[in-house]
Amino acid sequence: MLTDLLYRLRALLRRGAMERELDEELRFHLERETEKLVRSGRSRDAAAREARLAFGGVERIKDDSRDVRGVAVVDAMTQDVRYALRGLRAKLGFTAAVVLTLGLGIGANAAMFGVVDRLMFRSPAYLHDPARVHRVYLYTTSRGKESADNGFEYTRYADLARWTTVFDRAATFGQRTLAIGTGEDAREIEVATVSASYFSLFDAPPALGRYFTASEDVVPAGAPVVVLAYGFWQTHYGGSAAALGRALQIDRTTFTIIGVAPDGFAGITDGAPPALFIPVTTFAGVVRESKDYYTKYSWGWLQMLVRRKPDATLAAATADLTSAYRRSLAAEAALDKTTPRFDIAKPHALAGPIQFQRGPMASRDARIITWISGVSLIVLLIACANVANLMLARALRRRREIALRVALGVGRARLLAQLLTESVILATLGGIAGLAIAQGGSQILKSIFLPADASLNVATDWRTLGFCAFVALTAGVVTGLAPAFQSGRENLALSLKAGQREGTHQRSRLRSALLVFQGTLAVVLLVGAGLFVRSLRNVRALRIGYDVDPVVVVYGEARGTVLTDLERAGLARRLEARALGIPGVESASRALTLPFWDTWSVSLFVAGIDSVRRLGRFTLQGGSPSFFRTMGTRILRGRGITAEDTKGAPKVMIVSESMARTLWPGRDAIGQCIRVQADTMPCTTVVGIAENIKTRSLIDDTGLHYYLPIEQYQPERANLIVRVRGNATDYIETVRRALQAEMPGNAYVVVHAMREVIGPQERSWQSGATMFVAFSFLALILAAIGLYSVIAFDVAQRTHELGVRIALGAQVRDVLRLIVGAGIRFAAVGVIAGLGLALAAGRFISPLLFGVSARDPVILGAVGSLLLVVAVAASAIPALRATRVDPNVALRAD
Amino acid sequence: MDRLDLPQGTLDLLILKAVSLRPEHGWAISERIHQVSRATLQIPQGSLYPALHRLERRGWIKATWGASENNRRAKYYELTRAGRKQLEAETDAWQRLTSAVSLVLDMA
Repeated sequence: MLTDLLYRLRALLRRGAMERELDEELRFHLERETEKLVRSGRSRDAAAREARLAFGGVERIKDDSRDVRGVAVVDAMTQDVRYALRGLRAKLGFTAAVVLTLGLGIGANAAMFGVVDRLMFRSPAYLHDPARVHRVYLYTTSRGKESADNGFEYTRYADLARWTTVFDRAATFGQRTLAIGTGEDAREIEVATVSASYFSLFDAPPALGRYFTASEDVVPAGAPVVVLAYGFWQTHYGGSAAALGRALQIDRTTFTIIGVAPDGFAGITDGAPPALFIPVTTFAGVVRESKDYYTKYSWGWLQMLVRRKPDATLAAATADLTSAYRRSLAAEAALDKTTPRFDIAKPHALAGPIQFQRGPMASRDARIITWISGVSLIVLLIACANVANLMLARALRRRREIALRVALGVGRARLLAQLLTESVILATLGGIAGLAIAQGGSQILKSIFLPADASLNVATDWRTLGFCAFVALTAGVVTGLAPAFQSGRENLALSLKAGQREGTHQRSRLRSALLVFQGTLAVVLLVGAGLFVRSLRNVRALRIGYDVDPVVVVYGEARGTVLTDLERAGLARRLEARALGIPGVESASRALTLPFWDTWSVSLFVAGIDSVRRLGRFTLQGGSPSFFRTMGTRILRGRGITAEDTKGAPKVMIVSESMARTLWPGRDAIGQCIRVQADTMPCTTVVGIAENIKTRSLIDDTGLHYYLPIEQYQPERANLIVRVRGNATDYIETVRRALQAEMPGNAYVVVHAMREVIGPQERSWQSGATMFVAFSFLALILAAIGLYSVIAFDVAQRTHELGVRIALGAQVRDVLRLIVGAGIRFAAVGVIAGLGLALAAGRFISPLLFGVSARDPVILGAVGSLLLVVAVAASAIPALRATRVDPNVALRAD
Repeated sequence: MDRLDLPQGTLDLLILKAVSLRPEHGWAISERIHQVSRATLQIPQGSLYPALHRLERRGWIKATWGASENNRRAKYYELTRAGRKQLEAETDAWQRLTSAVSLVLDMA
């Protein structure tokens, strides 16, 4: 045993010496054998030859002898690596091309992986046994359509926690943007409102102090205690232990700091990580001063988490939640018998994935990201095809060298290992280049897909690094197999005969197939890019019922400054007047709600209609007389709001076109009576019909919307919209400063351009278009390089043939046609296959598009022509070189 | 007389035996077996050295460099103590096998 180990150790460490000894030993043997033969009367030469023949392949014997050393694998590997490195150093251009190509492919994927992993796969940091933790979703069916919801009322959460049995933990959490600090230091910050049980889902002992306990998280109002996120503790308290016990004002309430969460702890968050954690009951009962949040079912603002007991199945969890949910709905119905409830059909609950984007409510963005990850994989495939092609070309060029090695007795397996070693080294280098590219690229991706302060650092993330290594190795093996496969079929004798010419040269089938494959994939991606760009343009061109670019939106945050309704209404009027005085402002109007910010709806009663609510959700806007002018919303018939529509005047309403059609189909809406809030209220008369506007979704907004004069409906709740000449973004600071002057006490105004509010709505199309365009052009470039390299290689191989042709009188035109024709043939097959594939895939991508058919002939045609043009360009360069072949030189070369 | 192919596994035994009297180098081992077997056994040249190295790794023979009969450096292999035990065991096993096979073949 020991000798064996020592022997192997020596074999490893003193490899050189052992090799020399082996050489010497074999040489000695041959010499003695030769001498013996000479003694038996042969000539020296004949004896040497005979001895060698009897001995067999020296290299083979050496290999076998090395094998018994027991370190053959390590040995062969070091040798292969050295051999490969030498080869790669000798061909720097080739190496660079391969590394860069792989780098782009791997980089794109690593960067995408970072994003996708974060959104969909990675479980939150510190979470204990993530497989057992679920987010709870509630399903209801309304008007035949089932929809999922994860907004919980506190009461509902308490019901489900109390009436379920298969969970060992239930927790609730919400996130709010609240103002902290006082005076000049005041700023808005992300605050998580969580139940005390929330922290017990994690294995995350506090970095300092403690988390809050169940006794500090109680109805009706919890204790004013706060746990800091690690980062916030560092930036605001310099990581000092003295932070414990200090006071921190959140909104209007003074909290006491009791602990600090460990570094990297963000709980479970879908947006920006929270800076503070406060008890959910403290937020509801103290900050929001709600008296009934834990008894009624009207304020849904939380999400629910559960952890299954180890022996409970997923199905049991869902069943348990569903029965508790039905019981909770019954309790809700029993609570309020007076208002007729419309029945919630088929209610059920689901113990869903912890990652929101994998759940039933995944956003359009998440679906786009999934597509784009697929796209980046295709880019990688194209890159691999390119590299395989380059390796093949290289293998063809090295035919004689390889044949020689085989003749010398190098086994096929060993040869394969050498080729694979080379490609794996290349892939490793490619992987490193890819990491560098991913590091840069992921910053861009982050800004497109992830919340602003999410951390994404490729180089320090083990999962991304692991993914990168995996992709690189796979790419290395795949690209290495192609030439190995090819050389496995080489005819030794043919390759070895010096000067053997490839007469009627033959392009390998594998290389042609790779080329067509690249073209096909590039076409598919380009079609995708075209579709997304068109969708984005269509979305942008959409009439949303109001102007975006010249509009500034303003909302006031009272923040502790207590005003009476009368004072608040007065403040709103003053703000409106003040805004009008700002140079460059065309008009200003108070507004009850802001599009894509908040919506307002109240019960409506119309004679002859049983339940208006059943017809859809009608949202309400309140405005000043200048409202429609400020927004740019057109009045189609009747009138808008006027200065005469005051508190005492007859109540009037302007309805949207959709609303008019829904409530009074076939009849004139103007002059109709609607009772707002209760059927005992006096008539509100419809005096105008406005165009439909979109306030909740750019594409599937029902547009059921109506307007009341703000003076007749809650003037104290007014926000402000301002229309400026030119671009709203240029006015934000001016408007903010002018209006801030009007704000009393601690109150402040928040000012945004309408474009900023609308922007996120377009984001999925924007990111889809950006990423598809970026990746498809990457694919196109890679495919073009692939075509170019194959054609150029062909031309080099056919120099002799071309020389003959030119000598026989072929014109420049003929040569060009010959070479470029080949390029076009490849591209044409690729285009046909690619368009076919794109048509087939169109069905799946349609739901993500807008206003453009997945089979749009213009896009398909444009992509087809683009690829052909690129193919002509890529093959024209080597073709031109071919025309310059000098027949004299070419024919005399051998 | 025709040459015989070596039955599987006997090469090691022959090598051990060949170096049991005194240290020998590879070529001499092969020559010796050839001669002693009256030219019946020819060690396949390709297997000799791998076999020598395998035995060395197992610790049954050990190698030293010395001067050959014509005064050149050669690698001599000699039997180790473990090798001698192995040789005895294998010789014994071989003899029992062959006599058993003979008994069967001599069956009337």
